[in-house]
Amino acid sequence: MIATIAVQHVQSLRRQRVVVALVGTLLAMTAMAGLIGWSSHNTIVRVYDQAVRLLAADGKPAPPNPFLLKPSLSLLSNMAIYIPLIGALLALVLGHLTMADDESSGIGRLLFSRRLSRTSYVLGKLAGASAVLAVGLAVSLIASVASLWLVNETLPTGSELGRLVGFYGLSWLYLLLFALIGMVMVLVTRRRSLALLAAMGVWLVMTFALPQFTSGLRPTASLNPITDPASTTQPFFDVTAKARPFSLSEQYKTASAHVLGTATGESGTETARRVVPLAVSVAGLGLLTTWLVRRHDYSRGSSDD
Amino acid sequence: MTSARGTRIMTLARHEYRAAVRSRALVALLAVLVLTTIASVYIGAADYRSQLADYNAYKAAAQASGITQVPPAPLALLSLLRGAVEYLEIIGAAIAITLGYLSVSRERASRTLALIRSRPVTPGELAVGTSLGAVGLISTLVAFTAAVGVVCLGIIGHDWINGVQALKLLLAYLASIVYMTTFYALGVICTAKSRVAANGLMVALAIWLMVVLVLPQIGDTLDADNQVPGGLFASLGLGKPGETAILTHFTTYEKVRTGIEATSLAKHYERFAFAMTDVKEKYRGFSLGHLLAIKRIEIEWLAFYAVALGAGLRRTLRRQPAVPQGGQP
Repeated sequence: MIATIAVQHVQSLRRQRVVVALVGTLLAMTAMAGLIGWSSHNTIVRVYDQAVRLLAADGKPAPPNPFLLKPSLSLLSNMAIYIPLIGALLALVLGHLTMADDESSGIGRLLFSRRLSRTSYVLGKLAGASAVLAVGLAVSLIASVASLWLVNETLPTGSELGRLVGFYGLSWLYLLLFALIGMVMVLVTRRRSLALLAAMGVWLVMTFALPQFTSGLRPTASLNPITDPASTTQPFFDVTAKARPFSLSEQYKTASAHVLGTATGESGTETARRVVPLAVSVAGLGLLTTWLVRRHDYSRGSSDD
Repeated sequence: MTSARGTRIMTLARHEYRAAVRSRALVALLAVLVLTTIASVYIGAADYRSQLADYNAYKAAAQASGITQVPPAPLALLSLLRGAVEYLEIIGAAIAITLGYLSVSRERASRTLALIRSRPVTPGELAVGTSLGAVGLISTLVAFTAAVGVVCLGIIGHDWINGVQALKLLLAYLASIVYMTTFYALGVICTAKSRVAANGLMVALAIWLMVVLVLPQIGDTLDADNQVPGGLFASLGLGKPGETAILTHFTTYEKVRTGIEATSLAKHYERFAFAMTDVKEKYRGFSLGHLLAIKRIEIEWLAFYAVALGAGLRRTLRRQPAVPQGGQP
C-alpha cells in the first residue's frame, strides 16, 4: 500500500510538471555553479599571470599561486549556497503540494473512506517526495561530474566521487527537512496561502536570522561561499552560540564545505556530528507529520486561497 | 482632484490599510522582521559600546599625558543599522510581495470587488486608493523598524543620532519604502494575472529569489577579489595601486559582472542605503549633497523600477475583472 501511494504521488507530481520544474531548476543551478566555478578558475589564473608580470617589472619575486591552494571540487562550492536558497524553497513547495492537493481537492476524504491506514499514507507520501528529490539531486550529481570533467579536463578521482556522493546525500537530507516543513505547515493551518507563507517564514528564519544570532553572520554574508569569520567575542554570543548546532543552515554549509574538501581543519567525526541535529530534525518532523495526519480532519477540507 | 474623488480614494486606501493589518500571515512576517532587526542592531550596538569605551579611555589617557591632537573615533553609529537594512532588503521585499498577494486574494475570496464597483468608484480611483493604502502600510512598517533601530542605537549603543544622521537615515528609509512598494506591485500583478492566487504568489516569490538573492550573489561571487578568503589581491601581496593596474586588463569582465548586478533592484537599493548609513567607509567623509550626486545612478534605477512596476500595477488593477474568471479564488 505504501508503494502504491508513493507511485500515485510521483505520477501526480509528474502530471503537474512539478518533477520537470524541480529537476530542471536543480540542473540549471548546477550548470550555473559550474559556470561560476569555471569563471572563478579563469579569473584567478589571469589575475595571477598579471600579478607575476607586474611584480617582475618591479623586481619582486612571484607570489605563490593562490589557485594551488584551492581544491578541485571548489568549482562546485556555490552549490552549497544554492541548495539552501533555491533547493530549500523548491522542497518547501514540493512538501506543500504533497499534502495540500489531497486536502483541497477532496481526495483525502475519499482515500480515508477506504481501508487505508494513515501511517501508510504518510509513509507513501514521504517516499514519493523523497524519491522526487533524490532523482533531482542524482541528475545534479551527473551534471556536477560533467562540469568538473569539462573544466579540470580530467574525470574526478574515486575519492572525489565519494565526496560528491556524500555532499549530495547530505543535500538530500537537508531538502527533505524543508519538504517536511512544507507538509507540517499545511496540516497546522487552514488556508493554503497561509501554509505556504508560514513555511517561507521558517525558511527565512533558518537561512538568515539564526546564523546571525548564533555566529554573527550577516544575511548577505550567508550568500557568499567564501566569507571571513565574524567576530563573536560579545557576551551575546556566549548565550546564543550554545544554539549553534541547531542553526541547521549554517551546519549544512560547514559540513558541505568539509565533505567537498573546500574547507579543512575538521575531522570526519566532527563533520558527522554536525549532521546529527539535521538527521534528528528530519526524524522528529517525520514523526510530527505522521501524528498530525493521524489527527487531521480531512472532512473539513481547506481553502484554496 | 475634486474633494469627492479625494474622499473616495482615501476611503479605499483606509479599507486596504485596515484589511491588511488584520492578516495573521502579515503580522507573523512583520514579527520576524522586527525581532531580527532588534537582534542585529543589538549585536552591532553592543560591539560599538565596547569600542567607544576603548576609544574614550584612549582619548582620556592621551589628553592626560598632554597630547592635544587626538584622532577622531573610527566608528560610524549609523553603520550599526547594516543588519536592519539587509533584513529590509530580503525579508522586507518578501513581506511586500505577501501584502500584494493578500490584497488581491482577499478581494477575490470575499468578492468585495463587485460590491465596490457597484458604487460610484472608477477603476482608476480603485487603483490609486489601493496603492495608497499599501504605501501607507509599508511606510508604517518601515517607520516602526526605523524607530526600533534608532532607539536600540541610543539605549544599547549609548549614542544618539544627530540632525545630519537623521536626514541620511530618513533618505535611506524613503528608499526602503520605494523598494518595498515596487515588490508590492510585483505581488499584485503576479497574483491578479493568475487564475489560482497561490500560483501567482509562487511566481512572484520566484522573481524575488532571482532579483534579491541570486543575481547579487552571482555578481559578488564573480568579483575577482572575492575568490579566496581575505581577498585575492591581498593574498598576492598587491596593494590598491596593483589591484587597480591589474583590473585594467579585466574591463569587459568587470562590465559583465556589474551588468549582472545592475539588473538587480535589490543591489541598487543596498548600495544607496549603505552609502546613507555609513556602512561603506569610503563614503563616510562626504557631505550629503556629494553623496546624493555619487548615488544618482542608484536613485535613477530605483525610480525606473518603481515607475515601471507602478504603471503595471495601475494597469492590472484597472483591468481586474470584478468577478473572478474561472479557476480558484
